[in-house]
Amino acid sequence: MKAAIGLALLFFVAIALTLVVGVRDAGIADIWNAFFAFDANDPTHAVIRSVRVPRLVAGLVAGAGLGMAGTVMQAVTRNPLADPGLLGVNAGAAFAVVVGALLTGYSDSGMMAALAFPGAAIASIAVFLVGGARSGAGSPIRLTLAGVAINALLLSLVSAIILSRNETLEIFRFWVTGSLAQANTRPIEAMFVALVLGAAIAAVIAPRIEALALGSSLARGLGTKPGAVQLSALLAIMLMTGAAVAVAGPIAFVGLVVPPLARRIGRHVLRRELAVSAVLGGAMILLADTAGRLVVAPVEIRVGIMTALVGAPVFIFVVRRMKPGALT
Amino acid sequence: MTETGLTTTSLTLGYRERVVIRELSIAVPDQRVTSILGPNGCGKSTFLKALARLIAPASGQVRLSGDDIGKIDTRALARRLSILPQSPKAPDGITVSNLVRRGRTPWRGLLAPWSEEDARICRQALEQVGLSELAERPIDELSGGQRQRAWIALVLAQNTPYLLLDEPTTWLDLTHQLEVLSLLQERNRAHGTTVVAVLHDLNLAVRFSDHLILFGAAGLVAQGAPEEVITPDNLQAAFGLKALVMADPLTGRPMVVPH
Amino acid sequence: MSGVGSGKRIAGGWMLLGGLLVAAVLVSLTVGQIMITPAELLRGLMTGSGPGSLTLRVLRGPSTLTAIGAGAVLGASGTIFQILLRNPLAAPDVMGFMSGAGCAVVAGVAFGLLIPLPILAAIGGLVAAVLVAGLAFHRGSRQSPLTLILVGIGIGFFASAVSSFLVIRMPPQEAADAQRWLTGSLTARNWGHVLQVFGLGALLFVVLALQVRAMALLELGDELAAGLGARVERARYGLICTGVLLAAVGVAVAGPVPFVAMMAGPLGMRIAGVKHPASRLTAAAVAGATITVLAEVISRSAIPGLQLPVGVMTGIMGAPYLLWLLWKEVEAGEV
Repeated sequence: MKAAIGLALLFFVAIALTLVVGVRDAGIADIWNAFFAFDANDPTHAVIRSVRVPRLVAGLVAGAGLGMAGTVMQAVTRNPLADPGLLGVNAGAAFAVVVGALLTGYSDSGMMAALAFPGAAIASIAVFLVGGARSGAGSPIRLTLAGVAINALLLSLVSAIILSRNETLEIFRFWVTGSLAQANTRPIEAMFVALVLGAAIAAVIAPRIEALALGSSLARGLGTKPGAVQLSALLAIMLMTGAAVAVAGPIAFVGLVVPPLARRIGRHVLRRELAVSAVLGGAMILLADTAGRLVVAPVEIRVGIMTALVGAPVFIFVVRRMKPGALT
Repeated sequence: MTETGLTTTSLTLGYRERVVIRELSIAVPDQRVTSILGPNGCGKSTFLKALARLIAPASGQVRLSGDDIGKIDTRALARRLSILPQSPKAPDGITVSNLVRRGRTPWRGLLAPWSEEDARICRQALEQVGLSELAERPIDELSGGQRQRAWIALVLAQNTPYLLLDEPTTWLDLTHQLEVLSLLQERNRAHGTTVVAVLHDLNLAVRFSDHLILFGAAGLVAQGAPEEVITPDNLQAAFGLKALVMADPLTGRPMVVPH
Repeated sequence: MSGVGSGKRIAGGWMLLGGLLVAAVLVSLTVGQIMITPAELLRGLMTGSGPGSLTLRVLRGPSTLTAIGAGAVLGASGTIFQILLRNPLAAPDVMGFMSGAGCAVVAGVAFGLLIPLPILAAIGGLVAAVLVAGLAFHRGSRQSPLTLILVGIGIGFFASAVSSFLVIRMPPQEAADAQRWLTGSLTARNWGHVLQVFGLGALLFVVLALQVRAMALLELGDELAAGLGARVERARYGLICTGVLLAAVGVAVAGPVPFVAMMAGPLGMRIAGVKHPASRLTAAAVAGATITVLAEVISRSAIPGLQLPVGVMTGIMGAPYLLWLLWKEVEAGEV
């Protein structure tokens, strides 16, 4: 109960800060009026509606997607270092979108965004195969390194493509670290639908994933088909990660930082963990984004850099806590 | 006549070229405790896994009440038969009650929430293994014997008429081995659950089992009541062990004293 | 008999390795927006005039030579860690030392510090190394190489994030340059860079040569090495310092180019067919130089009219190697 109140509070603070903080200061009253007494001539109202609300929704979609995807990945692989960003799934989605842009010449932005899903799926399959996650007991180091390699490869390719087209530095940065700055140009509504779909799949198969976490023999004894569960989990990861990347670029570390907290608060019940991950992930991205707008204002630090600054120390902390024997 | 119980018909099992069980037809007696014994590498674990459909037979069938288990729906089978594999691993930091509730997986519908029925069965399972007090403790903090009891509570919560266990006493000290086996015996006596376990210790197996299946390197050596199976000749055939068999002063059952 | 045979094979391996480097250098000098024939190059070298001379002196010579120097120091550095930790994944790029060096350089530029780049890079690399060692430390047990590598990866993530953070604060043009440099870049190198990487590199190779004997002993395991008279801890720290400094020299002229340090050692060892540390280090230096020169020429000529950062190319070349390495391990593990 205390945890629930805490979460709700954090969530609302994150949302309020996102709406209030910016180049043009807005008070609570401005926000209220922008929604309920909209004045088209008031520039503050216009900024809130056309810039900050899309940014807010994009942040929530990306954060919830990455947080839940991380929780599903960690449950399936039993690897506390699994994160869609670190394992190259984000990079796969970003790569597919950028390739789509290259091939279609930016003609169809909806189609381009939809490519994020197959991109995420192919990268996840590749990282799981190379990381040996299929052969049973997870091997964190191998999976992590496979992710590092796939990430490096795909981001190098993304850089090569973007630089070869003489794009602006801003676009380059979006597709390499992720940002909420162009949120109002991203296909937020469609991706919200994809996110909900992915979350629904994850919630439905959650008990089966819990059974799978006990090892594949016992899972089969409990009446689950490990292959089918893994495939459904992959589908969920694909939808949630793809949606996140399509709205905010490949943001890393949210899926690493959120799941251990969610396990704590959700007390190892996966459906609860998923709900908590969605809230925490959304709050983390919004807070990181707001902090990024404040620290060296008026210059804006992209949200992907902020999450990395927080996430990298968490990564080291998690590695330190793992038993040496658990690494191989 | 309709078939009942867990049976095999001309069951052949093997890893690739190496066949470990050949053309075995056997019936596990219903509502009894059966132990599977034999030297390492004789295929006793493989046999148990085949009974639970964890591995597919090279040929032949395992049948449950006459149905080929290869053809039973996965979830339906999990409501009739549970298996506890050897040394299972729990996710880090998970509590006893959380582990046990995962035993309810086959009974939960796709969207069904956690029900009062589920909760009651889990409570009972915890009570039966004597872990009610420790329900909210993380598994990592328990002793070896307590941990094994938690795993058994998980399969008890699965609430199936057939309960299969692969070496449930390995790595436990003697007191805890006795504790685990009498737990299984109690379950059998109270619920009529058919228990099948692969065991290492001959004397403990005799003590707690109604029926024994003894494998040697060349396949089945003997099966039946402990008195019929545990004979010097059979032990010689299965283990190459010269041993004396005498009456256990406590129970009157056979007791193996190696030379 | 067999000794002679393997000796011949090794000699053949060295020739192949050297031949590859020469070929890579030739390609690098001749291929580009303007194609130059080897004959023109030779004429330029002899007469000091004409297009060949211009290419050698200004257009491609300095970049190619810097690539050779940077590749060589990075290759040797990677091999030092691979031998010390007995793990092909242990390399200054994977373990974050190079990101640390890169971060320090960016910080120096961002805050306008008037400290030479190699010194900044050295400081950053050493700080990263100390952090990795310290954070991987578990009371009571020796650090496992895997913990060290994972913590190193974490330090790398952090250093890269800090670098990106600092870059954003710079004026736009400087930021674009810094971003490029952070990917690893050999664009517009001059003779100052060449002098720097060869001067400092040569100095460190001399230091390394003095440490090779201790390294050969450490390879046998700590107890045996101590028994044979090596001062184990001192030798190890010395080698780590040399390794980090070599990597820093590479970073100072080419930015934190990924994967060269990791790939060079195993590649050189395989091509030359050698096992002894001294030979491995030499082979790694040659292989590292070859890889970097090749990556440099591909990165500037793959897309006409466009110069990609060399690090993008080493990433595209190196990541599949890492994946292949892991894949082999998976296959072996499944037997």
